[in-house]
Amino acid sequence: MSNAARRIGTIAKKELVEFVRDWRTIVAILVIPLLMFPLLFILFPLLLASEAAEMENVVVEVIVQSNDLPNELGLLFNESNINITYEPLADHDFLSTPGIDEQRLRNSTVDSIVRLRGNGTVLEYSILYMSTSEQSQEARTRTFTVLSQWEQNETERRIVAAGLDPNETLDPLQWNGDFTESDVATQGEQAGMALSLFIPLVLAVWTFSSAIQPSIDMTAGERERGTLEALLGLPCSRMELLFGKWLAVATITGVGVLLQVAGLLFAIGYLASSDLISAPAISFTALVLLILAVLLFAIMVVAFELALAMRSHSVKEAGSILGPALLLILFPALFTQVINLDGIESFWFAIPVVNVLLALRELLMNRIVVSHIVIWLLSSTIYALGAALYAARQFRREDIVTSLS
Amino acid sequence: MGESLLSVRNVTKSFGEIEALSSVSLDIYEGEIIGLVGSNGAGKTTLLRLLSGVYRPSSGSITLGNGSPVSESRQYLGVVPESTGLYSRLTAWENIRYHSRLYGVSDEEAWKRTSFFATHLGMSDSLGRHTKGFSRGMRQKTALLRALAHAPRVLLLDEPTAGLDVTSARTVRQLVQDLGNQGGTVVYSTHQLAEAEQVCNRIVIIHNGDVRADGTPQELMEQTGTNRLEDAYVALTHDQARIRTEDSKPLSKWATWWRGLFTPAVPSEVIEDE
Repeated sequence: MSNAARRIGTIAKKELVEFVRDWRTIVAILVIPLLMFPLLFILFPLLLASEAAEMENVVVEVIVQSNDLPNELGLLFNESNINITYEPLADHDFLSTPGIDEQRLRNSTVDSIVRLRGNGTVLEYSILYMSTSEQSQEARTRTFTVLSQWEQNETERRIVAAGLDPNETLDPLQWNGDFTESDVATQGEQAGMALSLFIPLVLAVWTFSSAIQPSIDMTAGERERGTLEALLGLPCSRMELLFGKWLAVATITGVGVLLQVAGLLFAIGYLASSDLISAPAISFTALVLLILAVLLFAIMVVAFELALAMRSHSVKEAGSILGPALLLILFPALFTQVINLDGIESFWFAIPVVNVLLALRELLMNRIVVSHIVIWLLSSTIYALGAALYAARQFRREDIVTSLS
Repeated sequence: MGESLLSVRNVTKSFGEIEALSSVSLDIYEGEIIGLVGSNGAGKTTLLRLLSGVYRPSSGSITLGNGSPVSESRQYLGVVPESTGLYSRLTAWENIRYHSRLYGVSDEEAWKRTSFFATHLGMSDSLGRHTKGFSRGMRQKTALLRALAHAPRVLLLDEPTAGLDVTSARTVRQLVQDLGNQGGTVVYSTHQLAEAEQVCNRIVIIHNGDVRADGTPQELMEQTGTNRLEDAYVALTHDQARIRTEDSKPLSKWATWWRGLFTPAVPSEVIEDE
C-alpha cells in the first residue's frame, strides 16, 4: 500500500471511529433510516386500521327532520348503527341552510342533522355536519350510506315498475373474464413500476441529507473546534485529507442508504406476504447499473457537501447553507416523478440530479436503453468530477484554518 | 551556534489587502529556544503557520537546513497550535497515535516516546482517557506529547501556556527548557515577555507584521539603551498595534448593510465622554 493510500485510510478510519462513538449520530443516520419504512408501511397502516375500527364502534347521534319520511327509509334508519331522533321539518328555502341548527352541531349536542322533503316524485335532502369533528364526519358517512341504500332500492323499484331489467339498465357495459389476466405486465414488473416512483426520491434525498451532518462535522466542525490547524501541519496533502474525509462520509452515507433500502425491502416483503405488492423484477445488468448510478451520485453529492461545508467558517454557517441546499435535490427529485418515461427525450439524462433519478426509474423498471445509459453515465461522471474538483479547490484554500470562534 | 535548521528569507504574507507579515528574515539554529514575542495580531501565529507549512508565503521562501521547502518537509516539525486541536471522542493516546500514523511513525515507536514524555508531564495515567473531560492544562500537555511522538527536529509552539494554571504552565515551560538543554530546537510564541525571558535564549519581537528586534534579552536591552526587557519591548513597539488580522477580513458591502440593520448605534453620551 502506498504512503498516500495509508494516510487516506488512517484519516477515514479515525473519522469513522469518532462517528461510531457518538450514539446520537448513529441513531439519526443509521437507526432511523432502518426503521423508517417498516414503521411507515407496517405500523402506520395498523394504526390507521385500529383507529378505523375504533370509529366504527362510536355511537353517533343523528336527527332526522322530515314531515314526509318514506316508510322504507325509516326502516333503514332504524336498522342502521345510528342513534336516530325524529323531528318535524321546519320551513326552509334551501335544506342546506343550517339556521338555528348550526348551534346544535357546534356544541356537539348532535353529530349530524339530515333534512328530507318530498318534492313530487323526488325526495330532496341535505346533511348538516361539522367537517372539523371526526365524529360528525362519521355520522354524515353513516347517514349517507343509509340514504344511498334507499336510493338504490328506490331506483331499482322504479325501473322494474317501468318494465325494464335493472341490471341491463344500470350497467349496460360489463367486463368479461378475469380482470387481473388482462395486464400483460408481470407482478414483478408492476412492483418495479410502483417502486420506481419513490425509491429514486428516497435514495436521492437520503443520500444528500444523511451526508449533511458528517460533512459539517468533519470540515466546519473541525475548523470550529480548532482541530483542523493541527491536521494541516501534518505531512499529508490536502487532497489526501479530502479523500480520507470523503471516504468516511461516503461510507456513513452508503451504510445509511443501504439500511434504509433494507428497511424498505423488509416492509415490501411484509406487504408482499399480504399480496399488496411483489418484489421488483430486475436483471443483473440493471442492478449493476443501478449501483453505479447511486455511486456516481454519492460521489457528486458528498464532494459537493464537503466543499460547501469547508467554505463555511462555523457549524452554524455550514448548517444554514447545507439545509436549504437539500432543495437542490428535492425539487428535481419531485419533478422527475412526473416525467413520462415512454418516448422521453434524451437530453433529460444529461441534466444534473435529474439524470441519475431518471436512470434509477428506468433501471427499476428493468428498461435498459443504451443511449440513455451512455448519456447519464458520461454526464454523471463529469458532474462527479466537477464536484470533486470544487471540493479540492475548497480544501486548498488557506483561510480554512481560521474560524469564527 | 549550531546548524541553521529553518531559514526564513524575505517572507511576506498578505491576506487580500492585509499584509500580516512584511519581508521577514530570520534563521533558526539547532539547539535554540527562540521566542516569538508580540501583541495580539502582531503576526506571531501567521509566522508559525508559515513555518509549519499551513500557509504559503506570498513572497520569499522558508526552507529547511537541507534546502527543501518547509511544505515538503513537515515530518521534521512538531506543531502545537494555540487551540491544541484534540478530538474529544478519542483518548489522549488515540489522538497522539492518529498524528503519528500520519507522520509515518510506527505505533511502537510513538508509544515509546509518548510514555517517556508522559511521565515527564505527569500524564501517564491519563493517556487512555477520552480528552473530552480534560482541563486546559491536560489538553496542552496531550498536544505536546502528540507533537513530540515522531521525534521532530523543530518544535513549534503557539502560546503553549495561554490559559493554563500556574502549575501546568510551569510544567510546560520546564519541558521546553529540558528539550532545549538536550539540544532540541523550539520556536515558542508568546505575548508574555517574562515567560519568553525565562524560557528562551533568543527573542524575536514582532510588531504589526515586522521583525522589530532579534537577539538575546541582553542584546535587546543594549540595542534600546534600557535596563529591563519590558522597557526594551515598549521602545521597540511604540507605534499603535493594528487590530485587523487575517481573521478579520472586511465584510462585503451587502453584509455590512444587512448587519447594520440590526446593530444599535452607540449612545451619544458615550461618544461625548470619549
